[in-house]
Amino acid sequence: MNFLLFSTGLLTQSVSHTFAPRIALHVPDGFLNAPVLTITWLISIGLIALALNRVQAEYQDRAVPLMGVCAAFIFAAQMINFPIPGGTSGHLLGGTLAGALLGPWAGSLVMTVVFIVQGVVFQDGGITAMGANIFNMGLIGTFGGYYLLRTIRYAIGRDKLSGMIVGTSIAAWLSVVVAAVFCALELAISGTVPFNVAMSAMVGWHIFIGIGEALITVATVTFIWRTRPDLLYRSPRRAIATSPRSLSTR
Amino acid sequence: MLLHIGAFHLDIDSHQQTPWHRLAPQTRILCVLLLLLATVLTPNGQWLTWCVYGAAILGMLLVSRVTLWVLCKRIAVEYAFVGVVLMGTLFREGGDVVWQWGWLQITTTGLTVLGSVSFKALLSLLLLNMLTLTTPVPMLLKGLAILRVPPLLIAIMASMYRHIGVLIDEFSAMRRAAVSRNLMGGSHWQRMVIGNMIGSLFIRTYERGDRIHQAMLSRGYQGIPTAVETPNTGRYDIAALTLTLGLALAGQSISLIR
Repeated sequence: MNFLLFSTGLLTQSVSHTFAPRIALHVPDGFLNAPVLTITWLISIGLIALALNRVQAEYQDRAVPLMGVCAAFIFAAQMINFPIPGGTSGHLLGGTLAGALLGPWAGSLVMTVVFIVQGVVFQDGGITAMGANIFNMGLIGTFGGYYLLRTIRYAIGRDKLSGMIVGTSIAAWLSVVVAAVFCALELAISGTVPFNVAMSAMVGWHIFIGIGEALITVATVTFIWRTRPDLLYRSPRRAIATSPRSLSTR
Repeated sequence: MLLHIGAFHLDIDSHQQTPWHRLAPQTRILCVLLLLLATVLTPNGQWLTWCVYGAAILGMLLVSRVTLWVLCKRIAVEYAFVGVVLMGTLFREGGDVVWQWGWLQITTTGLTVLGSVSFKALLSLLLLNMLTLTTPVPMLLKGLAILRVPPLLIAIMASMYRHIGVLIDEFSAMRRAAVSRNLMGGSHWQRMVIGNMIGSLFIRTYERGDRIHQAMLSRGYQGIPTAVETPNTGRYDIAALTLTLGLALAGQSISLIR
């Protein structure tokens, strides 16, 4: 039942050289109707405007170089294929990862920039549907993912790795599944795909994709927690005291 | 697929001298956006409207002298992914049943939706590919800046575009290192190693961001310049825009009349 899946295609192909199902939630042009497009664009523009303001205030003149490379980082990370339990392979969407590393505002801004560049330059997701894509993956995936992660993490304990791991895995999985639900809803409301087909195919498939997303996000966040915890957004308190050591040579 | 990445040489036809290339980047963006919106917002089943748009787009493709072979290759790859989705639009209720096999049925409504959506998706892809084949990314960004997209967003996109290649190189180096050390064996290992790679890439990225910032400061960076250069548009661009708008409206009026 994976005929309903949107693909990021293109870029990712070059890394894997396989025709494994390339699944993400990038809606192409022509699939959504005017009301859905208008509403999702309005929400997305609001999100972008708020995020730009917050990021500008927080990072000031560091905003451009830092957000730029972080967007390039997410873009590069999305190209990597990894095996998902169950036999297929998938790649990262990165919403929750961006939220965990950069916080909700910078994270969703970075994700938005990635979607815009993918849509405009690589036709990976449509231009008119970009509002919907930003809404599904930027707002739901990154913003929602971050706050879910934060709630769970703080409930278990801010300075505990276990809290981070549990929070990240749940948030990453759920953000993918909920984004798929919204995507299916938008398609159904637009009258493009019948509701039950959209739901079963999109959501059924993304339950598995979400597992891959959660595994990779947890591995990444754990690595950063162990090596450079000061780089995490809302880093554990002990990390603030110790002076960071550079791992980079280039 | 492969032609997208690597040197990131997307704009292979940007050095032609044609009427389309004489347009300023912001005019090209506006023309493409207008036609795109008109195509996408046309309700399902308005074949004549899309035929008009399709003919216009075909004309634009011929006028702009894009390399048709490359265009076809890109469309084929991009459309293969759209096509997978299209199958979902077919099986539905409503209208007359054309074909039935068990609970699977194809109805006239399903066929209309399938045809409409594939037509729209094809036209959109043609338009966008024409834009990116003929316009280099820096020019696109400049056009967007003139169209009042927030300068911070543009600056971030420009900075991202500049560093994608660097980060992809760095990532492939890490991947090569992992493979050469036999770290990509089982799937569990593979996921662990890729997770660690992404983590360490983030650390390097963050530090690279700081270094870039220092380098920018040392070259006198004082925040983004707010003033955009005055657009050098003339009557020619206005004429092109008017023509596109007229075309879009003509197509819409056809769909309203019928």
